[in-house]
Amino acid sequence: MDTVMQIRFKVQRYNPENGAAPRMDEFVVPAPRGMTVLDGLFYIRDNLDSTLAVRSSCRMAICGSCAMLINNFPHLACHTQIAELKAGTIEVRPLPNFPIIKDLVVDLTPLFEKHKAVKPYLIRSDVEEMEDPTAEFLQTPEELDAYLQFSYCIKCGLCLAACPTVATDTPFLGPQALAQCYRYCGDSRDDGAKERFPTVDREHGLWGCHFAGACSEACPKGLDPALAIQLLKRLRVSRALGLGRKRRPTPVASPPTTRQPKLPVPEFTVEVGANPPEK
Amino acid sequence: MRDTYLWLLQLVTGSLIIVFLAVHMVMMHLDNIVGFFGGHIDEPSFWSSMIDRATKGWWLTFYISFLALVLYHALYGLRGIVLEVTPSGRTERVVTGMIWAVGLGAFALGVYAPVHLFTR
Repeated sequence: MDTVMQIRFKVQRYNPENGAAPRMDEFVVPAPRGMTVLDGLFYIRDNLDSTLAVRSSCRMAICGSCAMLINNFPHLACHTQIAELKAGTIEVRPLPNFPIIKDLVVDLTPLFEKHKAVKPYLIRSDVEEMEDPTAEFLQTPEELDAYLQFSYCIKCGLCLAACPTVATDTPFLGPQALAQCYRYCGDSRDDGAKERFPTVDREHGLWGCHFAGACSEACPKGLDPALAIQLLKRLRVSRALGLGRKRRPTPVASPPTTRQPKLPVPEFTVEVGANPPEK
Repeated sequence: MRDTYLWLLQLVTGSLIIVFLAVHMVMMHLDNIVGFFGGHIDEPSFWSSMIDRATKGWWLTFYISFLALVLYHALYGLRGIVLEVTPSGRTERVVTGMIWAVGLGAFALGVYAPVHLFTR
């Protein structure tokens, strides 16, 4: 039978509305095998202190809501088992480099604003086809591989919390937005690099990255944002110098030779405005 | 676009510094090793040797180019560090202006000595 460990949680508490300085509260939590840090925080909130503010949603490393600093390393709380930390005391703090809303909940607005700034969607010149598509855009498996890993980003903010440049340079776009910029610029269906480059081609954008690599180490989905930034630098320089293979965005797939007729819409069987039958 | 070229120049100067620094190190500090391979450098740090090099146009070009490369590489890096800790549009202009001033001043001072020796 598995023994239940007693784990000491040290949790940072802070409410900007009451003006008090941040403090560390301690709780002892029984931790059976398989318990995650998020489960431990739920235990505290349910049994020891109901005022603890924690944000979570999916509990399976998909939504990115429960990102926090666990034993001084940015993790998803739902993706971190207590046993794997191999520590009797677990220190939990909110994500650095973000404003704190309360306790462990941070405001991710800067992340979303920077993400939005790089236009994270396909941009093409054939606007009519984009708005009213007739078929899918062609793409080979190799072209898909060029950006696929970067499309797994869940926007949890762990990379921005780990980045040493974001810590001192607030306007720096950060690894998430820059990696997403490459995810779309490197997509063979996209033709929007010219629209995105003015946003990233500046000191607080692409060129602010020191290649520390902390973002890649922190990413819970195994992405390599540091690699994406280097690839984006290469793409930017080669475009500026007119080097590299010129490519046009991939075309729309040819229409099928025969079309299946659409199913006919059934006629109305109820007369609109008719009185309901009497019971 | 401007920042792309500035960064690219940082890469180019970094690569060239490796070559220039290698020539400088061999010339000034590795004369024994050059001697081992049959070459001969006549006491490079002696005053007479320095004056002798200063009269050669090739060395004048080498030193001025080396100075320009090192100044650009170092000051672009310094600008990046300073901008990172003072992030705002206004400080960017001020910092860039100061870096230009320091760079041009240091370059003028550094060029004065070899040109003066060359033309005397």
